[in-house]
Amino acid sequence: MDRNQIAKWLKSPAKMANKYSLHAVYFCTGCGIIEIPPVITTRWDAERFGVLPVATPRQGNLFMITGYVSLKTLRAIIRTYEQMPDPKYTVGFGSCPINGGMYWDSYNTIKHLDKYIPVDGWIAGCMPRPEAVFIGVTHLWTLIDKGKADGYLRYKKNYAAYRRNQEMILRDIEWPPLYPVESKAEEVSV
Amino acid sequence: MISSLQEDLESKFKDVEVRVLEQNRISVLVPGDSIPVILRYLKESGLNHLALISCVDWIEQEKLEVVYVLTSYMPNDTEHGPEQRLHVLLKTRIPREDAQVKSAIAVFENAEPYERELHELYGVNFEGHPRLIPLFLEREYEIPPFRKDFDMRKYVEDTFGSIPSVDG
Amino acid sequence: MTRIAQIVLSPLIAFVVGVLFLGLSRKIIARIHRRYGPPIYQPVIDMVRLMSQRSISHGALFELGVVLSVAGSFVTVLFIPLGGTEVSRELHPFAHGVLCPLCGSGGLLVVTYLMLFGPLGLALGAGASANPNASIGVSRKMLLAMAYEVPFLLVLLAVMSHYGTISFTEVVARQQQAGWGVLSVPLSAVAGFLILPAMLGIRPFDVATAPQEIASGPLAEYGGSYLALIAVQKAMHLFVVIALYVDLFLGGGVNLATFLLKMLAVFLAAEMINAVLPRLKIEDAVKFCWKWPTALALLQMIITVVSK
Repeated sequence: MDRNQIAKWLKSPAKMANKYSLHAVYFCTGCGIIEIPPVITTRWDAERFGVLPVATPRQGNLFMITGYVSLKTLRAIIRTYEQMPDPKYTVGFGSCPINGGMYWDSYNTIKHLDKYIPVDGWIAGCMPRPEAVFIGVTHLWTLIDKGKADGYLRYKKNYAAYRRNQEMILRDIEWPPLYPVESKAEEVSV
Repeated sequence: MISSLQEDLESKFKDVEVRVLEQNRISVLVPGDSIPVILRYLKESGLNHLALISCVDWIEQEKLEVVYVLTSYMPNDTEHGPEQRLHVLLKTRIPREDAQVKSAIAVFENAEPYERELHELYGVNFEGHPRLIPLFLEREYEIPPFRKDFDMRKYVEDTFGSIPSVDG
Repeated sequence: MTRIAQIVLSPLIAFVVGVLFLGLSRKIIARIHRRYGPPIYQPVIDMVRLMSQRSISHGALFELGVVLSVAGSFVTVLFIPLGGTEVSRELHPFAHGVLCPLCGSGGLLVVTYLMLFGPLGLALGAGASANPNASIGVSRKMLLAMAYEVPFLLVLLAVMSHYGTISFTEVVARQQQAGWGVLSVPLSAVAGFLILPAMLGIRPFDVATAPQEIASGPLAEYGGSYLALIAVQKAMHLFVVIALYVDLFLGGGVNLATFLLKMLAVFLAAEMINAVLPRLKIEDAVKFCWKWPTALALLQMIITVVSK
């Protein structure tokens, strides 16, 4: 480590630790998950970047949404995302979360993921190669450094808009809102 | 073996139309009511593997065609080659407005998920099925999605395009 | 050194060495897999990150479980001698007095009791989180504890009857005079090494916290600073078990450096087993622990009693 790094560690240890210890929730969303096992095993070793898969969302802080998102999967993704503790980062992996990808005219998949949960970055490709995953991780590091990877803050700020979008697309949601949402009841003065 | 099966079918059941598509592959067109009887007859004469139940939408003739693909389990050794395997495509045409077929579960138990899939995607009702609930889809649609008069692009634009993006 | 200074120094050494061993284990496993691994200080980075995350609690019993298990491991360290000698001070140039704050005359029995607080506290906390994966993990952890306690107690009985004492410092002193434990009670040493992975919770006995099967078992609902405390407990438990093995069978150490070197050797052997073996089912793990290690320990006890 050079002297610059040590100064950064002493100034803001939480930010540096969040960068170098990204534990990814191993929720295999769609067909793109086939590119993740090569990334985390021996040949393209992701553990030297600090990226590990964990089994539960309570222990993770990186959520990679790999592949297309159907309506059933969207329910599970929103529940998993809300269970992760702050600060958390989301990465859309593949071209299907970006604009629908190959399933742009399908009746069962959603087309833009960032209308329902906040996304910090995208990795394009169908499927991206493991080297692209590492470029994405290092780019996420620079975003965390500059303070621009604030998906979880945006979720809290605009929660009413996100919840409205989720209710419009899923039609009945069985879990209560994560943050309090004022109901828009109209007051009728007597 | 093909010609003997063809003669048996034409002699035992009425209103049966058999065509030989290629070597070892025949298609049999029957009316909708006699499906369970013919399935049981074919199962007893050696075709004991129901591979697939599929459906075709003939929208100009206003009919749905349900297709049962039958073959036989054979051991995978050198005595049995691919030229000995026989495929039978059993077809029936039913009206589009009121699509009802008797379920094949009494004859082949593994028809249960295929019939659920056809019920949710084409709107075909199978009488006698114990649990006709959706298999893949999450919601009900007014027109079943695989029929040819389901306007896919308009549905996508109405449902997904009408959701505003979140700024800020 | 005064007792207060020892009480502060002992757990500090245990924490630092435990965390270093955790990082070293990931590096060793990575190198055996022919890849580069994370840096050795990666557990420190993980703990700092976990502390900075928002901790979600499930109730008072949930937090009490974590505190109980950390406290159990913390207190156990105070009863284990960490090197140093009284008998051969003149022979070795760098020897110092025995570093053991609360050693008295009943060390072995106290350590046997206190070592159970780790899994017990975790079971209490995991029961309070309403997750079925946690319940399955807790039942497997308790079964595994029952599995390794039987040969462990037999091993301790053989050692106690050979040296005729239940004091920890007495056992270490007698070994430094007369020869290591592996030469006096060899079958017990072998049985102790066979159940060492079960006590540490590493492969082939890591069925209790299996991430692929039951979503990390009892740790399924822990996040944030609770998980950081559990990592601390894991590091201290690792230190306690390996220090116990070195003190019982490898003669302790004349000073702290020799003691840590012996611990490193035992740890490397255990981690190499961890890197290459798969995971046993819980029934097979219990059957294994009650078959060969128990038989060897029982045989050694009979030999010791008969030859006295």
